[in-house]
This record gives sequence, C-alpha cells and structure tokens, in this order.
Amino acid sequence: MVTSLASKNQVMVQPLVENHLIELRKVSKAYNVAAGKFLALKEVDMQADAGEFVAVVGKSGSGKSTLINMITGIDTPTSGEVFVAGTPVHAMDQEQLAVWRGRNVGVVFQFFQLLPTLTVAENIILPMDFCNTFPVNERRERAISLLEKVGIAEQADKLPADLSGGQQQRAAIARSLANDPPLIVADEPTGNLDSATSDAVMQLFANLAAEGKTVLMVTHERDLTQYFTRSIALADGSLVNGREK
Amino acid sequence: MMVIAIAVSIFSVGTFLSAYTIARREMSRNYLGTNLASAFIELDRVDEALVKAVSEREGISEAEATSWVGGRAEISRNEWMPVLLFVVPDFETSHVSTVAPDAGAYPPSEQTILVEREVLPMLDLNIGDAITIQTPNGTKQEIKISGTVHDPALAPAWQEQTVYGYITPATLALLGEGETLNILKVIVSDEPYNVTAIESTVSELTVWLKAQGYVVHEIRIPPPGRHPHQSQMTSVITLFLVFSFMALLLSAILSATMINGLLAQQIRQIGIMKAIGARTSQITSLYLVLIVLLGIAASLIGVPLGIAAGRGFTGVIAQLLNLEIYSDAVPAWVYLILILMGILIPLLVALDPILKATRITVRETLNDYGISRDASASSLRDGWLSRIRFFDNTLILALRNTFRRRGRLILTLSLLSAAGAMFMTGINVRAGWQAALDQSSADRNYDLEIRFNAPVPAQQVNSLLANVPGVEKSEAWSLTPAALNRPDALEIVRTYPDGGHGSFTLRSIPLGSDLIATPLLDGRFLQAGDTDAVVLNQNARAFFPEVEVGDEIELLIEGEVKTFRLVGVIQQTLSPSSAYVLPETFARATNQSVELTNAVRVVMREHDKEAMASITRDVEQALAAGNVSVKVAVSEALLGEAISGHVYIFIVALMMISTVMAVVGGLGLMSSMGTSVIERTREFGVMRAIGARSKTILRNIISEGVFIGLMSWVIALPLSIPLSWGIGYLIGMMSFRSPLPLIVSPMGLVIWLSVIVVGSIAASAYPAQQASRLTVRETLAYV
Repeated sequence: MVTSLASKNQVMVQPLVENHLIELRKVSKAYNVAAGKFLALKEVDMQADAGEFVAVVGKSGSGKSTLINMITGIDTPTSGEVFVAGTPVHAMDQEQLAVWRGRNVGVVFQFFQLLPTLTVAENIILPMDFCNTFPVNERRERAISLLEKVGIAEQADKLPADLSGGQQQRAAIARSLANDPPLIVADEPTGNLDSATSDAVMQLFANLAAEGKTVLMVTHERDLTQYFTRSIALADGSLVNGREK
Repeated sequence: MMVIAIAVSIFSVGTFLSAYTIARREMSRNYLGTNLASAFIELDRVDEALVKAVSEREGISEAEATSWVGGRAEISRNEWMPVLLFVVPDFETSHVSTVAPDAGAYPPSEQTILVEREVLPMLDLNIGDAITIQTPNGTKQEIKISGTVHDPALAPAWQEQTVYGYITPATLALLGEGETLNILKVIVSDEPYNVTAIESTVSELTVWLKAQGYVVHEIRIPPPGRHPHQSQMTSVITLFLVFSFMALLLSAILSATMINGLLAQQIRQIGIMKAIGARTSQITSLYLVLIVLLGIAASLIGVPLGIAAGRGFTGVIAQLLNLEIYSDAVPAWVYLILILMGILIPLLVALDPILKATRITVRETLNDYGISRDASASSLRDGWLSRIRFFDNTLILALRNTFRRRGRLILTLSLLSAAGAMFMTGINVRAGWQAALDQSSADRNYDLEIRFNAPVPAQQVNSLLANVPGVEKSEAWSLTPAALNRPDALEIVRTYPDGGHGSFTLRSIPLGSDLIATPLLDGRFLQAGDTDAVVLNQNARAFFPEVEVGDEIELLIEGEVKTFRLVGVIQQTLSPSSAYVLPETFARATNQSVELTNAVRVVMREHDKEAMASITRDVEQALAAGNVSVKVAVSEALLGEAISGHVYIFIVALMMISTVMAVVGGLGLMSSMGTSVIERTREFGVMRAIGARSKTILRNIISEGVFIGLMSWVIALPLSIPLSWGIGYLIGMMSFRSPLPLIVSPMGLVIWLSVIVVGSIAASAYPAQQASRLTVRETLAYV
C-alpha cells in the first residue's frame, strides 16, 4: 500500500541506507519576502521510524510547520531530499503529491477542517473517493468502523457543525485514517480543545502509534509530553536537539 | 470583476435606453421632416391656379398638386410586382410631403424614373438599369432608373413588396396615362396634428372646391404625425423601453451579487480594522466610498460602451425601417440616469450587506479560520439535501455547496432566471410571430389575387381561368374602398398615400367560399338570405367602438351612404381592415351588376414556387388573350414575403435584446462562482491535502456552476410563460389588435439550456482553474 503509488506516478524509489519511514537529507527551504530571502529551514536532517510518536516543538516562526509541510508534500524543499516510506517526495509534482498524500499521509489540522456540507461519514469517505482505495460499497462501512475506533460512530450522519470541537477533531483523525496511511501528521490538533478533550485526542494518537503508525505532531503544549516517544525541537530553521523519552 | 459587472449592467441599460431615445426621436424627425400633408384630396383635376387659390385660403398653410398611379413592374419575364408611381410636377420646388435625394440624378432626367432607395436592393437593380412598368391605361414600357430618393413617409419597399417610383407628369404621359394631376396635398395651419381640426378645415375646403366646380372623389387624412408603420416602430421602441427597465432590475441583482461576494472576502479585514480601533461608522464609510469609486469606474466603462451599442442597435433598426439617422446624439438625461444608476444602485444594494458585515464582532471575524461553519449547517441540518446520496461524494459536495450561501444563491438564481426568462421570451415571442404569420397564411386558402383595371363579367373570367391547366378554381372577390359615414357625407378615409396602410375595404365574398378562414370573435358569418349583412374583421371593428353585433353601421361607398347590419366579427391575423358582404349586397352597395367583378382569387393545383410562378404567367396570358386588363396580381408568395417582412424587425430586435440578457446572466454566474471559489480557497487546500487532484477540484466547482445554471433554467421556464404572454399581448395589440399566440418554443428551451450549461461551465471554469492552480500551502495559508 505504501509504495505502490510511486511506480504508478513514475517516480523512482531510491533504496534507503536505513529503513526509516521518514528521512530528510539536508533539507532547506527559502522564501522570498519583502526584506529579501528568508530561510525557514536550514539543511535539516531528520529521521522517524514506524510506530514513533514524534513531537515537533519550537517557538513561533521556528520552522515547525515548514518542516511538516516538507514531509507531507504540502510544500517542496528549495534543496535537499525528503523520503517517506521510500518515496522521494521532493521529486513529485503537485498532482502526484495529491494522490500520494491521500494514500500515504493522514493530515490532521488544528481547526479540524472538515468540509461543512458533508456529513461526518461522508467526510471520511472523501479521501477514499479521491484515491479510489477501497471498493465503493465498502467505503461507508469502513468510515463507520473508523468512527467507532475514535468513539463517535453515533455521529456519522450529522454535519460537522452539529458536533463539539472534540468530536470534530476525532472525526478529523478518523478521516486521516481513511486510506490506512503509515504516517499521520497533525498540526497542533489540540490547540483548539479543552484539556480533558485534548487528553482523549492525544490518547487516540498514542494508540495509533502503538499500532505501528508513525505520528508526527506539531505542538506548543508542554504538558502533553508524556504521550510522545520522542520530540525534536527547532529554532530559526535548524534542529536544536532530538530528545528520546 | 465587480467593476466589470456593474459596467455590464450599465451597458445593458445604456444600450436599450439610448436605442429607445435615438430611435424615437429619429423616427419622428424622418417622418415629420418631409413636411407631411395633412390631407390628400382626390379631384377630377388639379391645376396651378387651384393650388395657388387653395394656398391662400384661411386655415391652409401650404398646398401642392400631385398624382398617384398604381401599376405593376415586371421584375422578371412575366413576373410582376405592384408599383406605385408618385407624380411630382417640379422636384426642385416640391415642398409638401417631400422626398430627399439619395443617389444619382435629382430631379430625374427626361423619361426616367427615380425609385425609393430600398427598391434597388429588393430588385437587385442599379442606377442606370431599366425597369419595365405597366400602368392601367398603358402598355409595357421600359424606363431607365436615373436615381434614388429616400421617402421616409413610406413603409420600406421590401416590407411591402412594392416598387415606389417618382416621375414627372411628362414621364407619366409616356407611360400611357394623362398628364393631368388629380391629387391636392394640403397642410392645415392650425393644429396640424389634430385630426378633428384637419377634418374641419378640409371639410370647409371641400365645400369650396365643390362650389368651384371640382368633383371631389376621395379625401385621405392619414393619422396625423403617425408613420404607416408607427405601430411597428412603437412596438420596437416599447420593447427597448420595457427591456431597459428589466435590464435595470437585472443590474441591481447583479450588483447585489457582486457586493455580497466582495464583502464575504472582507470579513477578516473588517475584524482586523475593528481590532485596531476602527469604528463601525468609519468602516461603513470606507466601504461606501469604495462602492462609489467602483461605480464611477464602472460608469466610465459602461456608459460609452452602452451608448455605442445602442447606436449600433438603432442603426440596424433604422436600416430595417428605412430611416435616416440624422443625429445619433443621446439626451443628457440618459447619461445622467446611467451614471446615477452606476453609483446609486450599487450603493443601495450594498448598504444592507455593508451594515451587516461591519456589525459582526471582532471575535467572530477573527475566528474565521477559512472553512465556513455558517449557513451550510443550518440549511442542511434538517433539509432534504442531507439525504441526497450519490456514488461520488464530490458531486454531493458540489450540490450541497450550491446551497451553502442561500442569499447569494437566491441573487444568482434571480439574475440567471430573469436573463433566461427574457431570453426564452424573446424566442417565444418570435415563435408567436411566426405562428401568427403561419396562421395568416393558413387562413388564406388561395394562391393568387388578380385585380382588374375595370369590372369584367365574372363568368367570363372564370371561364378563361378554367382553361388554364394549373388552375383548380377561381372565385370573384370584388372589392371597393369604404369610408366611415360622416354628418357632412364627405368620404374621408384614413388611407396613407401608399393606398394600403390605413385602408378600409368592402369585399364581396361568394356564399360558402372556403378561400379564407373565418374564425369568429363575435356573432356569426354570412348566410344565404343575408341581404344587408356585413361581417367585419377585428381591425375594421375598431372603427366602430360603440357598435354591437345586430346594430346597423353606415359606410360611404363611392360617395353614397350605405347601411349594413353587423352580424359578426372575425379574426384575421396581419390583415388590413375589411368588411365582408355577399355578392348581391356588394352589387347594391356599389351600384354595379352582380355579374361583374373587379378581382378574382385563384386556387392552383400545384404549390411549389416554380409551378405557381408558371401558372401565374399562364393565368395572365389567358386573361390578356380574353382582353381582360390586369391592374395587379398579388400572389400568396408575394403576400407572405410582405407580411414576413413586417415581422422581421421584431425578430431582429428580440434577438438583439436576448443576446444582451444572456451576456448579463453569464457574467452574474461568473461573479458568483468567482466569489464562492475565493471564499472556499482554504477548503480546496484541505481537499488537496487529503488526496484530491486538480481535476477533482475543477470538476467540483464546475459541477456547482452547472447545478446553479440548471436550477435557473428550471425557474426561468415558468417565468418566461407569463412574460411571453405579456409581451406578445403588448406587441400583438399594437401591431394588429390581436394578441400574439402564446408559444413555448422548444427551441428556446434547448438553446437556453445549451447556453446555460456552456455558460455555467465557462463562467465557473476560470475561477475553478485559478483554484486548482494554487498549491496546497498557498490555499491552507489563505485567510
């Protein structure tokens, strides 16, 4: 499932020296701003393996979001290489990336970003529709089972606006799992939730990591550290340390 | 985009309003510019001394002599067309009901003819070519066309299928008629546009003429100041006026759509401004000023373009009506209205959304994180939309997004539906016209009408025609001009100089004839034993507003008052005013033997164009061999051409109007889709982030545009029906006192469906393409 798309999209899979799920090699990202060139990432090297729950921390503007954008293919590096499950993400175009991301990366946003005109179940079916990963008649069943997994199966036919913030974030997590991706990337998913709900959501992510998914999460919240297996800190676009728990 | 939308609104109103003002003014200027005669008095003779004496009479400002001679022109071998010759004693000094030199010689050189400028293209002739003419007392004569004139007082030659010629008395003599002139044209000095005043003055003049020993045959007082095609012209300019108001309505909707879209994009900015200390009044003023500036910019684009298009429209109309546009100036009030419209309408429609937007709290505006949480939920939560299922969620998404902003959807649907309804109305009215035309043709079950220069025995004519192989049957259908009886017993008719428009004819119809259809509007048709009965068509009925079926009516026939009993009224589409009586009644009314006739109607065995032309030639030859002198032969084909010529201008006008409406509607959809896409930019980013390709986004947006387009089509269809009826009624009543039939044209439905589908795809394709080109990072970063 993970690398099957690479050949479909005519992207050569380079053998990795070590079998990391994520490998960044001297990744830099520069933006042209009014004041000149701004280096958001500076030759970052990083790896993450299956089953890891990695926190990406740092001050605002440190490059956290840019780092995960490189990994998800939401943005492309100015230089360097990004491999996810052996796929050279840096070498793919936007169209290839869209399909690759749909199948290989589950993205969870701070504000849930469920499509408001679709029901919760339909939101979860949508990535399966986009990537055509499961037979049509099995998609709803799968969506319901994912909602059961995150504990909100009874909300399947409601619209996102009818759900609480915590329920919406659970729905967003279920959506990220729709195509059974090996990697889940979450950008401050608890930033908009109360502490009790945050704990429940974090426990969900921890469970996913325990099942073998790699979870990469940008966060500001120090009191969530007990859930992570590792954290990496960024400052001014560079990794400042990597801390094993 | 907003500037373009308002500019298009101004453009559409400007087009119709400027076309209305120019056409209205130039129509009057053309017609009245000929120094129209108030009356045409047909005498036994008109000489210079009489003209001088009449000119000096009190109440008469000008007088001039002329003659009119009807004949026929051979347009190809043995194929004839009616000709009307106007005799002008002195072209240089003619000053009553004048014509303007157009090209070639003026005045015409010896033994040549000038023709109305529309005649040459109709007959495919040029100045210098010869035309063969035969007058009632003459033989066929070839006469050279030395030039053309513009006669704005006549209906265009191609519409009437008549050759209008202008000659000197000497040329008339050459054609076999006497040089003596017999029409006195007069202009009254007091109230020249008051028909009662004209009648009073002319009545006194007639008494004097009779006292001087002149024989007064007929007095023509056409409706003063009204062109023979005034109703046609009025219908066209009324259409322009009606659609000006409709375009105004559309423009208000379009502006509202655009402003709503604009403000939707500004919510966060408004929040930021408030957060840093801006007061609601300051923000409101800021946006109102912005709207005014946009209105001014739009006016700078829309006003000149609209007026230029209006001039173009008028040019087309003028060509069809044979008018000369002396000035295409547009009155200052039109500019003022357009500029005010460009500024005030957007301001008025913007006021409410601006106030609403500026009253949103800072928290609400800054909490807007990109994906809307609002109306969609409430509108979908308990609605039928939440129950819609497709195999493909992206289509559900498109359909539900369509209903996401109900206010905007209603505005967009209003705009598109109104444009669609107007477009379909244009096509429906056109179909109604065509149906009226077909009905008029179907009502005439004969193929040829031949009028004779003098009454001939009907038996003789029928025998001659019975020997023509292509003739199935012929019937005697005598006719004579009729006038309403007046207390002074003067025979005053409303007929125009062309002899057709405004005419009122008494017709003899053989008992039981099936050569015309007689759909009854009131009473019954003629029956055996109806000795004094008359049946009027609806146009003739209008001359007797107080009379009911069963009442008596008095008509002046050849100078004598005749009384008839009205037994019925029939509907005749596109037909002049006619009164029908049985042959015996006709004979008594005209003091003519019932055995004689001055016209026959012929039914042919074959009906293809070439066969009919050939049979017509054979008929004419048979009549010539029997020494029957033909005044004019009017074939069904010629009549059909003439009638369809009258309809053509409406079709052109309606099509021009429909096109503008379609453009305005399309632009409205584009603006609505553009706004919708901008609002949902972040949403597209999320879709891309979870695996959607560009083409999925593209399909999603285009599907939404097509859904809106299709919904508007469904709404436009029922809207177009009362609108088609109303406009058909207005135009029909103006043109021939009978509403146009209501036809829902399948062609209109299909064309508008195609326009709306293609237009929706085109209108949403641009914003969709823009959205699909954005990178995921750009869209997720979009606020």
